[in-house]
Amino acid sequence: MTETDETTGPPVTLIDAIDMSKLDPKFREKIKSMPNGEALAACFACSTCTAACPTANMWKFKPHQLIRMILLGMREEVLSSNEIWLCLTCYECQERCPQKVRVTDIFFDCKNLAAEEGNIPANVLALAKELLTKGQLYTVTADWEREDMGLEPEVPGLSVEAIKRILKDTRTKKLVGGEE
Amino acid sequence: MIKVSDPVLIIGAGVAGMTAAVELADSGIKTVLVEKLSTTGGNALNLYKAFPTDDCFYCFEGNRWRPGIRKCFYRSALTEQPNIDLRMNSQVEEITGAAGKFSIKLDIGPQYVDPKKCTMCGLCIEKSKAFSLVSPQCQPQAVSFDPEIEDEGTAVAAEKCPTKAINLEAKGTKITINVSDIIIATGYHEMKPVNVDEYGYGTHPNIITQLELAQILDPLGETKGTLLKPSDGKPAKHVMMVQCVGSRDENYYPYCSKICCVYALKHAAILTQEREGVDVSVVYMDIRTYDRHEKYYRDTREAGVEFVRGRVASIEPQKDDSLAIIVYDSLLDKYLKFSVDLFVLSSALEPSPGSSQIIESLGLKSASGFIGATNPETEVVVGNRIYACGSALGPSEVPESVTQARAVVSKILQNRK
Ligand SMILES: Cc1cc2nc3c(=O)[nH]c(=O)nc-3n(C[C@H](O)[C@H](O)[C@H](O)COP(=O)(O)OP(=O)(O)OC[C@H]3O[C@@H](n4cnc5c(N)ncnc54)[C@H](O)[C@@H]3O)c2cc1C
Ligand code: SF4
Ligand code: SF4
Ligand code: SF4
Ligand code: SF4
Repeated sequence: MTETDETTGPPVTLIDAIDMSKLDPKFREKIKSMPNGEALAACFACSTCTAACPTANMWKFKPHQLIRMILLGMREEVLSSNEIWLCLTCYECQERCPQKVRVTDIFFDCKNLAAEEGNIPANVLALAKELLTKGQLYTVTADWEREDMGLEPEVPGLSVEAIKRILKDTRTKKLVGGEE
Repeated sequence: MIKVSDPVLIIGAGVAGMTAAVELADSGIKTVLVEKLSTTGGNALNLYKAFPTDDCFYCFEGNRWRPGIRKCFYRSALTEQPNIDLRMNSQVEEITGAAGKFSIKLDIGPQYVDPKKCTMCGLCIEKSKAFSLVSPQCQPQAVSFDPEIEDEGTAVAAEKCPTKAINLEAKGTKITINVSDIIIATGYHEMKPVNVDEYGYGTHPNIITQLELAQILDPLGETKGTLLKPSDGKPAKHVMMVQCVGSRDENYYPYCSKICCVYALKHAAILTQEREGVDVSVVYMDIRTYDRHEKYYRDTREAGVEFVRGRVASIEPQKDDSLAIIVYDSLLDKYLKFSVDLFVLSSALEPSPGSSQIIESLGLKSASGFIGATNPETEVVVGNRIYACGSALGPSEVPESVTQARAVVSKILQNRK
């Protein structure tokens, strides 16, 4: 949209409005073109997704608002939001959406786009690094239940070398770096 | 006892009145169809595409069987069916007498142009501003003459008209007729939202109503269907519509005008799918695309129309003729600022002027100013041998108006067994 800073009268309200001409109309198309975005535009803002979400109560932007922000072209705000990473990926929203919008999957797409821009929360980054370095996320050392079941108490450990080698060539590695 | 041959008075020649007239006439009943304007068709005359079929208004499937008439059955039926007495530029002055034998005083306007002779050659329009063609689809097919406009060309036009269709000396007449039944088909009026200050209608040329937009989109209209700004005739690119202007508002009309959501989205669909480089935002409280019209809602979302749930906070005209509009988005709890070329108000549909006199003089019920039914189960029966159909009963779409007109016809026929 065109810039219209020249006004003919005094401002009517003291509102700090989001300038639509500064948003990114291509963002909507970008998400729409991704594997899960086909039904994005069908969203009619009923907020069923938010009602279904077990955790959105804690979020600043609710799921239906995030979808709206994508539709409006608020690329910055969506890709830097915490919410897309806080999503539990439980799929409650997506199951219930009356317009078949793939809400959870669209948030995955958003996470991928955010990650490509280096926009990854520190805790997630740390986990990814751990995975790349150790080949596994949680190392289980001893387990008393093993004894009860007549197994030797020491956990034999996973064979992680092969996994580590595979991970070296993944996008995750390219995005987060991590120790060699 | 009512005889089959007793005539029926129909007031208003919109879609509803025309349907009632043609179907009664086809059943052998004489009808007097009184229209105050110089063309029939009412509000539906220049609407371009119509929901639900996106077809021309005059081409309903059910009517194509009529012989000799291509698609548009009303065109010739109204002037050629001998049972229809069509009275243009005319008004009902007084109704007296009891049900079954009403006495009607009609004020028949002067017939300056004889529609049987006029070939719409356009010569008179070139000679004088007093002559005009209301619409190429007008019916009767003839130009109109406005006696208020006097220029030297009028006499020349009358002189030169190749078919001698013009009579500048024509005088109006008053006649009294007797009818058995009365059908009120006076339709609706789109409110001019001058009093709804916050939308600035009347203060800026690029703030218009949906009916005005319909006329811009009509290929037969002034701009030939191109979306141009009224201010400077340059193309409009950013369109914003706002719903519920004067409807669902206790300060104006408490009811929902029912079809404005559907035609707003019909317009949004035309703009985004048939015009190049136009984007549309729709500001709404609820989108009420009832019944099968939900399709327009889904299709327009798919086409990229931006729906903003909320209300307009401010409109500021800019030096370049655009409007800077701030909208409160209640779903995001944020204010959005848009630059808009054409601001279209979905203004309330109100009773047509004169409805209150009709209600009063005939002792009818009023339903928010529209004609009220005597019994909710028989919507079209509004008094003893008095019926109403179409938007005279309240905002309605064309198919509904046609169905109601047919219901009236069937009621009248049942009474005459
Ligand atoms: C912007 C817009 C778009 C629309 N688009 C669609 C659409 O796509 N599809 C659809 O189905 N519907 C649409 N509609 C609705 C459609 O216009 C109406 O359904 C239809 O016109 C109703 O017809 P009617 O005969 O009841 O009334 P009207 O069309 O209002 O006709 C009433 C007639 O009565 C005459 N009259 C009034 N009072 C008197 C009197 N006292 N004496 C003599 N004559 C009188 C008037 O001059 C007029 O000719 C739209 C409406 C609007 C505003
Ligand atoms: S998938 Fe995410 S957004 Fe959807 S309901 Fe679960 S936690 Fe909420
Ligand atoms: S449930 Fe679906 S349609 Fe409703 S707001 Fe969420 S994404 Fe949109
Ligand atoms: S000159 Fe005569 S025939 Fe031609 S449009 Fe005018 S009235 Fe009709
Ligand atoms: S049809 Fe839509 S715009 Fe019209 S009054 Fe009803 S809700 Fe408002």
